[in-house]
Amino acid sequence: MNVPASDPQTTGSADWPSDWLRATLGFLALRALSAGPSYGYAIISELERHGFGTIKGGTLYPLLTRYEAAGLVTTEWRAGDGGPGRKYFALTDQGRAELTRLSADWLRFTVTSTHYLDPERLTKEISA
Amino acid sequence: MTQQTNDKKWFDQLIMELRVRQVHGSAIGDTIASARELLSDTGQQAEEAFGPAREYAAALELPSAPKHDWIRKALWPALLGLLAFLLFNQAVVSWTRSELLLVSPAQLALLATPVVLIGLLPLYLDALIRRIWVCIGITAVCVMAGLLSAFATPKSRAEAWLAIDPLPWLIGSMLVMVALSTMNTIRSSHSEDDNDITDPLSGTTDSHGRGARAIVQLTNWLFPILAIAMLGLALSFR
Repeated sequence: MNVPASDPQTTGSADWPSDWLRATLGFLALRALSAGPSYGYAIISELERHGFGTIKGGTLYPLLTRYEAAGLVTTEWRAGDGGPGRKYFALTDQGRAELTRLSADWLRFTVTSTHYLDPERLTKEISA
Repeated sequence: MTQQTNDKKWFDQLIMELRVRQVHGSAIGDTIASARELLSDTGQQAEEAFGPAREYAAALELPSAPKHDWIRKALWPALLGLLAFLLFNQAVVSWTRSELLLVSPAQLALLATPVVLIGLLPLYLDALIRRIWVCIGITAVCVMAGLLSAFATPKSRAEAWLAIDPLPWLIGSMLVMVALSTMNTIRSSHSEDDNDITDPLSGTTDSHGRGARAIVQLTNWLFPILAIAMLGLALSFR
């Protein structure tokens, strides 16, 4: 199942081409939920910590809303500590399967791309 | 203070955009609470975090009521109510003067103008909401048509296209207005149609929701109230 992401808007040090983030943000967000339920700011922080820049709420929430509609994530509101409540997103079994599938596809794609960009590396890896 | 003002404006605009898209109140409440949660965490301004409210509302792609549902539920009853109100206004003066209701083609055309403009509302609703001059223009045309129709009233039976007894029209139009108002009151107070913006955690409606509900109930009875006022005016100037 492919759910398109809107044009990603990021700030911060990581300055990836927006096309790359548009293509990958979906499964990166699913990956950020793989350890357990999480909320908007925690997902943004997780992605930033791993070098993807600061994803804006205007990019992340529409993506997660579409994933919820597609059955990849579920949501639950929990009371906050003094502040507003928190909306937690959690992967469903379908979402976990989708993450596994997309991760494998992405790995194959990056290996193929890397080998194409640097054919000598492939030869070196085989001979080593 | 400026940030709060800007954010309030942004949230008001977001609510309006989601309402225009016929998104249910509970989904709007969820969206608002999510946005507030992130702004509280990041300290960002709403526009900075989410972009323009209109684009954000479109990007969310939230489930909405069928596109033409509001036409069936709101526009047609409003149009029928307006038509009954205009008929009542024409009939009430003739009735209080114990005269026949005289109608000319020009008068009918002028009276039909606001009805047609409201009937075509789905075609220009977006522009009406977003551009104040469109709203002012439409209102001005309706007011002008109403005023001009008074001048186009035939002075004698010979000038009239139609000459009819006003009483059945007076009673009939009032009955239609009361029936529509009753129907709208029942519909808007029915729990299934409760479309207040609700907080996802507490399930409570915001303070504006209760005030808005009172305004909706008043609006439901606007035509009968105005009709009674017109009757009072016509009787006092008899």
